Amino acid sequence: MSEETIEVLRNPPLQDAARTITDGLRSHRTLLIIGNCRVDYQGRASSKLKPGDRMVIIKRDGSVLVHRPTGYDPVNWQPPGCKLQAYTEKGNLIVRAVRERPRETITIQFNKLYLLTSMALIDRGEFSLYASEEDMQRAVLLHPDLIEEGFKPITYEKKVEPGFIDVYGMDRDGRLVIVEIKRGTAGREAVLQLAKYIGSVKGEVNREVRGILAAPQLAKGAQKMLITLGLEYKRLDPKRCAELLRRSSVRKISEFL
Amino acid sequence: MFSVRVADARAFRDILSAISTLVDEGTFYITEEGIRLRAMDPSRVAMVDFAMNKSAFDEYVSSGELKMCIDIGELLKLLRRAGRESVELFLDEETGQLKVTIRGKYTRTFSMPTLEASEEEVPTPRITFNVKATLTTDGLHQALEDVSLVSEHVRIEAEGDRIVMNAKGELMGVNIELDKGSDALISLEVKEPSRATFSLSYLSEIVKAAASTSDVVTMEFSTDMPIRLDFKQQYDGKLIYYLAPRIEVE
Repeated sequence: MSEETIEVLRNPPLQDAARTITDGLRSHRTLLIIGNCRVDYQGRASSKLKPGDRMVIIKRDGSVLVHRPTGYDPVNWQPPGCKLQAYTEKGNLIVRAVRERPRETITIQFNKLYLLTSMALIDRGEFSLYASEEDMQRAVLLHPDLIEEGFKPITYEKKVEPGFIDVYGMDRDGRLVIVEIKRGTAGREAVLQLAKYIGSVKGEVNREVRGILAAPQLAKGAQKMLITLGLEYKRLDPKRCAELLRRSSVRKISEFL
Repeated sequence: MFSVRVADARAFRDILSAISTLVDEGTFYITEEGIRLRAMDPSRVAMVDFAMNKSAFDEYVSSGELKMCIDIGELLKLLRRAGRESVELFLDEETGQLKVTIRGKYTRTFSMPTLEASEEEVPTPRITFNVKATLTTDGLHQALEDVSLVSEHVRIEAEGDRIVMNAKGELMGVNIELDKGSDALISLEVKEPSRATFSLSYLSEIVKAAASTSDVVTMEFSTDMPIRLDFKQQYDGKLIYYLAPRIEVE
């Protein structure tokens, strides 16, 4: 078994390749197998991929990706936790990945290998996915049209009796608008929170106040409650917010205080 | 207790109008010496630092210290009705209503609600400025109007005896030179050559709005730091803006 960080075999005989892959699977290495192969998938559906040059990636958690030379998504794949095996049969190298439940099997049959790398990769970097709730709030302040056309923010983090209003503004008809932003699926709690803010502001200003719940999606049951309470929902996608923020490279004066 | 009068509504209206380019709901701090407001715009890119001292008003009565938060846009609507007539503001602390009395051919008194004052007291940015330029407000305004024809942001540079404004749009570009001693650039001190880029949607709006309150502006900046625009006021007080720079992404 290889202890090297990266082991590279060019045009390896299939027997050698089978051994290296088996060793790699045992020691949870990441494998990149490039060669000419056909792929059979049996499971909830079934598919057959005729021979061609492919890149097969087997990650150390047992996920499998079969990539063709074009396109960003894999043509066949298996999720983490697959049972994997590699062996030669009738002069071909077979890599099989079996998922237990639901039962799904990918059989990759190589007739030729160009490159095989077996890698012990270390990756402890943190990944932050798109925008945080605060980023979404900033995106709305910079691009109020995300809420609706003509929306004009007046202030943010406005303190009211039950807490802080994310964004407080006015619609094009001059009605006050309270926006509550959620990064994930907004549930009944978020609806109630918004309703409380509205109640509090209404008591203060004695005029019509709209409430908009802005979130990537609404939980089951939350919608009915929203309608009953006369509130509105606006789909607000964290990914889109992140894109908008990246594009606007304006710094904040608050960074200099 | 807070009660003030201005004999001619115009100047006061122009100042509030200049503040309203950044702030819709403004919390004014009222003391025996005068009123002041310091606030960031909702997206926290710019700040206005305003003060109007007692002597700037024709009458000024205030006892103790208090905060008054108002919808500046609403107050402006009322003041726009005043022309050059006299205006009195009276804060009824019991009801939280601000009474606005305009006395001209006839007398009308509006009342408007005050809002919950913000608790946040913002400090001013701490920056060492390497460039200090005094310009005519109109000169600066015109230069920015030129730039806005081609781009949404402007790079301002100072070196030696000259300020250069540069902008590149998708199709067109512009280069503006302001020389020391010219009609637009009254004086210039450059401790260190500096350059920074600013969003015109903010800078133009600020300068356009403040232009009606002031003829002369002192502009200070440093490389990739906020710009400070001090619009010299006729009255006893100040109207200063800070605007954060853009990061230049190539």
